[in-house]
Amino acid sequence: MADFAVSLKDIVKEFPGVRALDSASLEVKSGEVHGLVGENGAGKSTVIKVLAGVYQPEAGSIMINGQSLNPATPAAVHDAGIRFIHQELHLVPHFTVTESVFMGQELRGRFGIAKREMRRRAEAFLRDNLGLPLSGNRLIRDLGPAERKLVQVARALIDGAAQVVVFDEPTAPLAIEEVDLVMGAIAKLKAQGIAILYVSHYLSEITDICDRVTVFRQGETVGVFDNITAASSAELIYAMVGRAISDMFPARTERSVDTGLSVRGLAAARAFSDVSFEAGRGEILGIAGLIGSGREELTDCLYGLRKRTAGTVSFEGRSLDLNTAAKAVAQGVVLVPRDRRNDGLVLPMSVSENATLATLDRTSRAGLVDAKAAAAATESHITALDIRPPNPDAITRLLSGGNQQKVVLARWLATDAKVFIFDEPTVGVDVGAKAEIYQLIADLAGKGASVIVSSSDPVELQGICDRIIVMMRGKIVDELRASDASVDDLVAATTGAASVQGAAHAG
Amino acid sequence: MTTRANTLRDVLLRFGFLIVFAAFFVLFAFWNPVFLQGGNLLNIVEGSAILMIMALGLTLIVATGGIDLSIGIALDFGAAFAVVAMSTYGLDWFSAACAGVIGGSLVGIFNAILVVGLRISPFLATLSTFFIGSSVQRIFTNGGGPISYRRMPTEFRNIAQGDILGVPTEAVIAAVLVVIYYLLLERSIWGRRIHAMGMQRPAAIVAGIRVNRILFGCFVFAAMTCAVGGLIAAANIRMFTPLSGFSYLLDAIAAVFIGAALHPRGRPNVLGTVAGVLFLGMVANGLNLMGLNFNTKDALQGIILVSALAFAVAQRRARGS
Amino acid sequence: MRGEVPSVLKITDLVGYLPLVIFGLVLTYISLHAPNFLTLQSLELIVMQSLPVVLVCAGLAVVVMAGGDDVVSGGIDLSIPATAVLSAGITAQMLTSGMPLALCAVVALAACIVVGLSNAVLITKIGMTPLLTTLAMFVAVVGVNNVITVSRRINVDHSWIVALRAQEIAGIPAGILLVALIVAILFFAAHRTGWGLNLQAAGGSRDAAEISGIDANRLVAQSFVVAAFTGFLCGFFLLARGSGSSPGVQDNLMLEMVLATFLGAAFSPRRVVTLWGAVLGALLVAAISIGFKSIGVNVFWTGLIKGSLIVVVVAFSALAQRGR
Repeated sequence: MADFAVSLKDIVKEFPGVRALDSASLEVKSGEVHGLVGENGAGKSTVIKVLAGVYQPEAGSIMINGQSLNPATPAAVHDAGIRFIHQELHLVPHFTVTESVFMGQELRGRFGIAKREMRRRAEAFLRDNLGLPLSGNRLIRDLGPAERKLVQVARALIDGAAQVVVFDEPTAPLAIEEVDLVMGAIAKLKAQGIAILYVSHYLSEITDICDRVTVFRQGETVGVFDNITAASSAELIYAMVGRAISDMFPARTERSVDTGLSVRGLAAARAFSDVSFEAGRGEILGIAGLIGSGREELTDCLYGLRKRTAGTVSFEGRSLDLNTAAKAVAQGVVLVPRDRRNDGLVLPMSVSENATLATLDRTSRAGLVDAKAAAAATESHITALDIRPPNPDAITRLLSGGNQQKVVLARWLATDAKVFIFDEPTVGVDVGAKAEIYQLIADLAGKGASVIVSSSDPVELQGICDRIIVMMRGKIVDELRASDASVDDLVAATTGAASVQGAAHAG
Repeated sequence: MTTRANTLRDVLLRFGFLIVFAAFFVLFAFWNPVFLQGGNLLNIVEGSAILMIMALGLTLIVATGGIDLSIGIALDFGAAFAVVAMSTYGLDWFSAACAGVIGGSLVGIFNAILVVGLRISPFLATLSTFFIGSSVQRIFTNGGGPISYRRMPTEFRNIAQGDILGVPTEAVIAAVLVVIYYLLLERSIWGRRIHAMGMQRPAAIVAGIRVNRILFGCFVFAAMTCAVGGLIAAANIRMFTPLSGFSYLLDAIAAVFIGAALHPRGRPNVLGTVAGVLFLGMVANGLNLMGLNFNTKDALQGIILVSALAFAVAQRRARGS
Repeated sequence: MRGEVPSVLKITDLVGYLPLVIFGLVLTYISLHAPNFLTLQSLELIVMQSLPVVLVCAGLAVVVMAGGDDVVSGGIDLSIPATAVLSAGITAQMLTSGMPLALCAVVALAACIVVGLSNAVLITKIGMTPLLTTLAMFVAVVGVNNVITVSRRINVDHSWIVALRAQEIAGIPAGILLVALIVAILFFAAHRTGWGLNLQAAGGSRDAAEISGIDANRLVAQSFVVAAFTGFLCGFFLLARGSGSSPGVQDNLMLEMVLATFLGAAFSPRRVVTLWGAVLGALLVAAISIGFKSIGVNVFWTGLIKGSLIVVVVAFSALAQRGR
């Protein structure tokens, strides 16, 4: 048996004007879970596409189970037993679980397709190989994100020929408790002797499940780490960014806090109830909570995207009418949404068009858009936020995640907004841009805005916020001061472990 | 060899539709010199006026990301309200024209209620408006007979038959509407918002754009525009002919989408629509002058339409890649 | 709109059947007021009347399944009725000049397939939107057909064509049996074969289909050819129904086809266009039209009733969707 299930050596891949991979190597041993980490643009997705046979490298060798693949075509790679679980779900919402698992590889029976047999096999595979008991007749659109992810995994592996499975950011859309479902499935696959290449931004997951980790930076392999433990995070980050983690968050400074946003007894049907909190001017308030805790619904409700059934919201003592997003914006409450590509930006529009979308009144004369004024306004934001490329006419679809996020922010900075709600502000943003966005958030609070940061990342909340409220099952269950709570305390509070500990302390 | 092919390709791609336009123009001019005479070119413009107006209204709806199959009904209602206002209620020409526009706006309001209020997809909503509007006309006219009004005031007739400084009034009306629509959709802040919601509605909502209000306004404004087309149609023949608006629907859709295909980002836009309408008008006129019989002309027109659309789309795609 | 909330209530499932319930109530009302309505003869009349619509609906359903149900950007084929009229026109014209039916059918089929292939090429190779392409194709094909038939009505008395209307097998009209067979074959192909599932996958999520190694473009192209084929078949039933080819039927056929097919989506539990939903839609729309006529409602009101039905059914269907 070959030592390495996958061995990519000294791969070079060039695109016009860019060397995306430069002597990149990646070796996955049989039966191990191997992590691949790196900032956005480090070459992770390029190397995966080289492995998939989508890109042909200029130099380097590709060996699978000791056999050289030359050239590596998608079909040859598939035949060699390598399967890819793409980041996007790529499922048909109105298909059943069975239909999705066998999509494009239906079993033929004597009379058309073998429906029963397909259902039996799909259910058995999900249950036995992935640890998920699920009826084959359920529709994809009725499933949770983790269940969908596992259906996607089942589709890739149902033929039983998989030897290596590549997971590309499988947990990005998932909440913590759902992540466990996917982790459990990966552990089961490993136990079946399948090698796994695990690509993720989440270092805690990497350190949890990986046996070895390869780190990419700027198209090169900068390190391969054995003996991964929870303590490896710092080392990995240092290898990824070439600097230490303490640079990530802006230094804590004492800001004066005045009365700002005040929420009293807010409720939304089937989501949350009796939510009350303050977010003072000059304060950054964090909201923690798992999926289903009501956290996402709360930010939607504050922004008029979800109907409020009870409660009041006021700012500096004046009551606010937040029944629609338009009303919220008009009253100085703005949202940086979690789904940036769908809700944040009009992707086919330019940076300038997006950045002025909420303030068209100001860059217009007699109702007509004043292109010069708009460009000038945008230029100043591009400089202030360091948006790249620094071109107001660049189409936002082509920008990186971090720059897209800055354009959303530029749009709101142009308004007189006093309350900024950030929902998952750094999802899909690389480490360098993350630090910049954290600095911008801190600056907003420094200028006297009420800032709310809702996030599933406890490190982020603990690092950037002054106070953090914790939601569970539609209620606020805890409140922590970031300065005297650790990330572990926050995780404990979010997952419900804290109440046990708290009771022990009190007793 | 390849470079030459490439340059030819480039030229075709950059000026493709323009070349097709010009080629037909030259072809028609050679075939029948009458085509080039000033009077005939004016004919094309005049003959395209109603279609231009309808296509403008449709451009607005398509820009919001929807479609309107009931623009013909708005035209019918515009004509019917104006004619009935004069013949039955004896209103003066201006009040009658206003009545026509208001009548048309009812169609838009109905569409808006279905689309914004009941959240029915624009295609199905306006399809049912089409069914209902057609039926209402049949009921009202007892089966679809025209309502004629011979003693129509001259001022009203002049909407279609008069001229302003030598230019036919209907062409002037269409031109004014083109300018209004251009400013509204391509230059104004409302146009920016309409395009934003048409491209990506959730993002427009989060950006604080009142999408429902805009959608409502667009349906009503488009229907009022089409009703103006109805006024011209009624003035032209001094009567209201039920169900006559439907005949403009296919050409209007074609014009809007030719226009969208000409746009670098594939967006419906006013200047593109104008180009589309003039192209269709020119082809119809040119084929007429060729002395072809009605059926052959129709068939050729259809085939030219398909080819022109294919060409415009292929051009945009090749340019984009 | 955003984050889904797991619903505990099962009322939404009931709401899902409301479109059918509404139709049931309307038909019950009609049968109470027109006792003859529920007789076999009148049901047979309804089915006979709806045969051409059923065929084109089946074709449209296949196209929508392959292209997705977004009317503007997804799959739609408005040219099927024009293809049907072309098929009828060619056949009628050739029959009257004394050619054998088989030859007529071959020529008509060839012409229809050319239309289908043209749609397929324009949409999958050049990248035009189906709505636009097929609408323009509709205009072009109708124009060509008018040249062929010189825009006049042609009567056909060929025994095979008449048999589609008049012949009975085991007491059931041959036309109904034939259409039932065609629909059954299409249903099997679209819902019970790998090809059909791939077709639905292509329409449901193009990306998902392509990731799974399904050639979505090829399936979309095939769906337009299938649609043209149903148009070809429909032509013969148009000839049989009116004893000949007559200009102008395509407009009404197009409206009925779109109405019935998308109404059919409201009947499907998954709220998507399906073959049986489209066929059921065609039958129900015919039943409602004939039913209202039989209780003495003026035909001028038919459009109003149909339009209102779309509004009611689709609005309820949207309500059920939102409740989920």
